[in-house]
Amino acid sequence: MSRSDGADAPYWKGLVDGRLMLPRCADCARWVWPARHRCGACGAQQVVWEERPLRAHVFSWTRTWHRFGGTEGLDLPFTSVLVEVDDCGVRLLGRLDDPDRVDPRIGEPLVGRIGETVAGDDRIPTIIWSRAA
Amino acid sequence: MTHPLYGSTAVAGVGLRQYKRGASPLPERSVLVEAIVAACDEAGFDPADIDGFVSYGDDKNEPVRLMPELGMRELRWSSQIWGGGGGGIAAAFGVAASAILTGQASAVVVFRALVEGSSGRMSAAVMAHHLNDHLLASGVVSPAQACAIRAMRLYEHHGVPRDIVDDLVRASYHHGSRNPEAVSYGQTFDVETLRTSRLIAEPFHLFDCSRENDGAGALLLVSAERARDLAKPPVYLLGCTQGAQAGWGDLLENDDADQYATGGFRSVARRLYAETGLSPTDIDVVQLYENFDAQGVMALIDHGFCRYENAAEVIRFDNLIADGGRLPINTAGGNLAQGFIHGIGLPIEAVRQLRGESSNPVAGARTCLLTGGPGSPTVSSAIFANRF
Repeated sequence: MSRSDGADAPYWKGLVDGRLMLPRCADCARWVWPARHRCGACGAQQVVWEERPLRAHVFSWTRTWHRFGGTEGLDLPFTSVLVEVDDCGVRLLGRLDDPDRVDPRIGEPLVGRIGETVAGDDRIPTIIWSRAA
Repeated sequence: MTHPLYGSTAVAGVGLRQYKRGASPLPERSVLVEAIVAACDEAGFDPADIDGFVSYGDDKNEPVRLMPELGMRELRWSSQIWGGGGGGIAAAFGVAASAILTGQASAVVVFRALVEGSSGRMSAAVMAHHLNDHLLASGVVSPAQACAIRAMRLYEHHGVPRDIVDDLVRASYHHGSRNPEAVSYGQTFDVETLRTSRLIAEPFHLFDCSRENDGAGALLLVSAERARDLAKPPVYLLGCTQGAQAGWGDLLENDDADQYATGGFRSVARRLYAETGLSPTDIDVVQLYENFDAQGVMALIDHGFCRYENAAEVIRFDNLIADGGRLPINTAGGNLAQGFIHGIGLPIEAVRQLRGESSNPVAGARTCLLTGGPGSPTVSSAIFANRF
């Protein structure tokens, strides 16, 4: 599966188009993430994709100092952040704009912009989060 | 009613070969064969009579390939627990016992072999099992980082003090320093060494992380009845559970919020105690899989030894050591200080401890809990005993 044909293809296409798209069950309206084609809670087999604003809160984070293979496209140290997207509870892994190395606080509000991450020959669309003004 | 697994099979022999990473004198399969033959030798058991194998963690050694070197007549059972991490290590014993109890095999070897020159880096293999573009895009490409994010939540949200791991790591090195087979044998270790080691992924420094070794481990499981006729005192399997409860497992970090900073063992631990009729107070010693020290803390919490709120009162050096502690852990040094061949040293120490052969004997120990790789999507735990 690649970004164009997996269950989460509309998520990746959305980022390319500059939008955060997330899937929810067409029947019971639960958010179904990671993306899948069947809602295990109600059994419905249809998913609809909805746009959400790029607003979230910090759920947890780590700042990486070791050069792990596959991270060559990122300057050390870099900060990865797990955020909870506002008003839907879906958690997304992304990167935090962290030039001053200020430790994030759990629950801190963030705003996102869509950038990219170089991984080998690939350029992966990525949400880069910053502290909300 | 007694559970069918309770005391019906036993480990009759163990074998371990451990080397510095990248320094194995032999290729992976040859090291594995040595460990299996060593397990049979101490049991007084002919390797030709082995008829089954179980492994875990994407081991590369398909059992049928071992037949010529072991002189085996017939292979009747081979299987592996799903998952790239060490979560399946305890489950391997449950599967081996199931094969024996249903008559599908009679002498099953549980094993894991890891030689970098043959199979590459284990951490990379574990991550390859999970890696996708969501992880790559966030720069989270290693087990250390994935576990670091959960450790951060344990400390910053659940309020467990960060220095709780100091005691866990010190206890591991205390035991390892007295174990001639351990990487830390004869070494002294203090908290400064841990805290001044280089940062890997916050909150983890180097010595918060297990570090890979080359080697192989093998344990021979047979029926309890057969084990009593072999050379070593039997170490019985009393129970084994594997799995996950809803809201846990490979969910792109969307595990239920109240399970997020756990090892993933809640349902597994609950069933293990229910099926054995035992409780945490019945456990005399723990072989605790600590890929990372914070995950070891989570596993102790999951298995009912403490809670987030009182973890710092229970996870104390004096309480964790063999000499008088009420919750002795990793009496050979564990993954951190004995060596890390994807955790296979832990069940081997469980057996040695219950035979009275440990370098750090726990006086009067009857039961030993083995916890599998915490944080893995599929996890498992088992309880062994020298009498029941």
